[in-house]
Amino acid sequence: MTSFGDRILGLGLLVLAVAYGWAAQQWPEPFGGAESVGPETFPTILSVVLVAGSLYLMIKPDPDAQWPIGKSALELVVSVVVLIVYALLLEPLGFIIATTLAVGTLSWRMGAVPNRAFLTGLISAVVVFVLFNHGLSLSLPAGLLEVN
Amino acid sequence: METLGFLMEGFAVALTPYNLMFALFGAFVGTLIGCLPGLGPANGVAILIPLAFTLGLPPETAMILLTAVYAGAMYGGRISSILLNIPGDEPAMMTCLDGYPMAQKGRAADALAVSAIASFAGGLIGTIGLIMLAPVLAKFALTFGPAEYFALFLLAFATLGGITGKNPMKTVVAATLGIMISTVGIDISTGTQRYTFGVLELYEGIDFILAIVGLFAISELLFFVEHRMGGGREKMTVGKLSLTFKELVTTIPTQLRGGILGFISGVLPGAGASLGSFISYTLEKQVLGKKGKFGEGDIRGVVAPEAGNNGASSGALVPMLTLGVPGSGTTAVLLAMLISLNITPGPLMFTQNADIVWGVIAALLIGNVLLLVLNIPLVGFFVKLLSVPPMYLLPIVTMVAFVGIYSISHSTFDLYFMVAFGVAGYFLRKLEIPLVPIILGLLLGPEMEKNLGHAMVLSDGDWSILWASPLAMGLWIVAGLGLVLPYLVGPLLRRRMNAAMKESPVSD
Repeated sequence: MTSFGDRILGLGLLVLAVAYGWAAQQWPEPFGGAESVGPETFPTILSVVLVAGSLYLMIKPDPDAQWPIGKSALELVVSVVVLIVYALLLEPLGFIIATTLAVGTLSWRMGAVPNRAFLTGLISAVVVFVLFNHGLSLSLPAGLLEVN
Repeated sequence: METLGFLMEGFAVALTPYNLMFALFGAFVGTLIGCLPGLGPANGVAILIPLAFTLGLPPETAMILLTAVYAGAMYGGRISSILLNIPGDEPAMMTCLDGYPMAQKGRAADALAVSAIASFAGGLIGTIGLIMLAPVLAKFALTFGPAEYFALFLLAFATLGGITGKNPMKTVVAATLGIMISTVGIDISTGTQRYTFGVLELYEGIDFILAIVGLFAISELLFFVEHRMGGGREKMTVGKLSLTFKELVTTIPTQLRGGILGFISGVLPGAGASLGSFISYTLEKQVLGKKGKFGEGDIRGVVAPEAGNNGASSGALVPMLTLGVPGSGTTAVLLAMLISLNITPGPLMFTQNADIVWGVIAALLIGNVLLLVLNIPLVGFFVKLLSVPPMYLLPIVTMVAFVGIYSISHSTFDLYFMVAFGVAGYFLRKLEIPLVPIILGLLLGPEMEKNLGHAMVLSDGDWSILWASPLAMGLWIVAGLGLVLPYLVGPLLRRRMNAAMKESPVSD
């Protein structure tokens, strides 16, 4: 079957729309009684619109896009993991080390020679660190490199 | 002339050394961003927003910086079109048609110079149009009640897909998703917790800056990883300037026509810069007929779309500043900045925040002059930059986005959120769900709900108030048209743009 992407998206959005609309009906009536527009009115309208939209996507889907397979899909996963790990390590390792690793890994995975990739990472990390902490006096975490 | 007085005050704001410095910086960075293939004005402004925040800039300075980036990116877009035949974004497509042939004939320097001048003319005409039209429209918009505003927001969503948009239903879905995200957090009027799941970080809602940077910048990185545009590019030589004064003079009518047409299409909701550069080019082709050598490197073929494109970018600021309704992706991002600065965009801004509005407008005029001065001598530098392989550049840009977001709150929670938005943005773009309506939904959602509530209070719960006045009805009708037109006109227009691209003998 073609047009798989839009159908799955439509299905996902339908589930979201119903859950979103249902949740809106569960809120307690605000103090002072029900007004014509309460906190649930607007979300209810939105869920109805999204139900209509998701049904349309399932009934009249567009042709599928080209999805990455094999190696490029793996590279994508690697990039997302790098970004998450970067966020995770930013504070414990400090900005310079974390950034060197993150920028270096990303450019290496994009096809740069490893040495040059990590050198680019290091240089850009140091430049941004100095610029932020001294030029703009905004503090980025120094982490392991902290000088006491 | 009342307007002139305000403009003078605007100049007083924009010409302080501090603001001027940021305008210059913005113009420079904007051109840089614009000339890099893959980074458009929307991405550029999105990445700089967190920086503007963390620097704690005063509102007028922040806006001046970002508008300068916006104008600069529009200028820069032409460089990769002319030298590499790679349009940085959609509006720059038409510049490839004659710009690249000119470069191939060894007239790259001329094409770059004349397109800089055309960008200047277009930007200038657009800004003058903005100065004349905006106050009038703002006065008119003061008559809007909540019902009219509600209809106006619908209009904004309906037309945002633009007439080149493919599937209007996807615009509807995108806008709804955006508004849904905006309902997360504590309801202002009743204090009800909505969709927070008890997570403390969600009580104040989802910060749209995270969403914008994630959706635009991170998803761009992921797209690049997938396509791997590869390493270095062939070195481009610009050559010597051989443009004669006489040649330049012959392009003046083209500059005027292009700038005015561009401005008009910029003001119209949903039309934007793509249409501006397209119709300016086609009109020029028709006006000159056989006298021109369009598609083979005619100088006017570079002038027309560049004047149109830059005229449109100023035009798009008209609905953004006067109605609070942006006409394009980048103006939506600028709007986000205004809202974050606690400034309610719309007609009242002209009275309540006159210094900001007029400061920005004056900065646009100054920015255009700066850009012209910057672009002619520095063109060699920007060209060199084109040969930096994106595999080094994109990770650094991503890192700057991280730093910006982190510096706002010093919370890693925000970073995870941003990455999540980036991944979502990747999938949505793959499925051709437009991102700009999501952003706009996030921004306008709360206002929309507020106006709905006010309208209902006024009418005692009678829903028909939403379309009762002729003005509101008119807005509903235009919004309806905005959704239907892409089905009718869109395919035709796209086909013509593509046909024009193919006609050009050199483009592949």
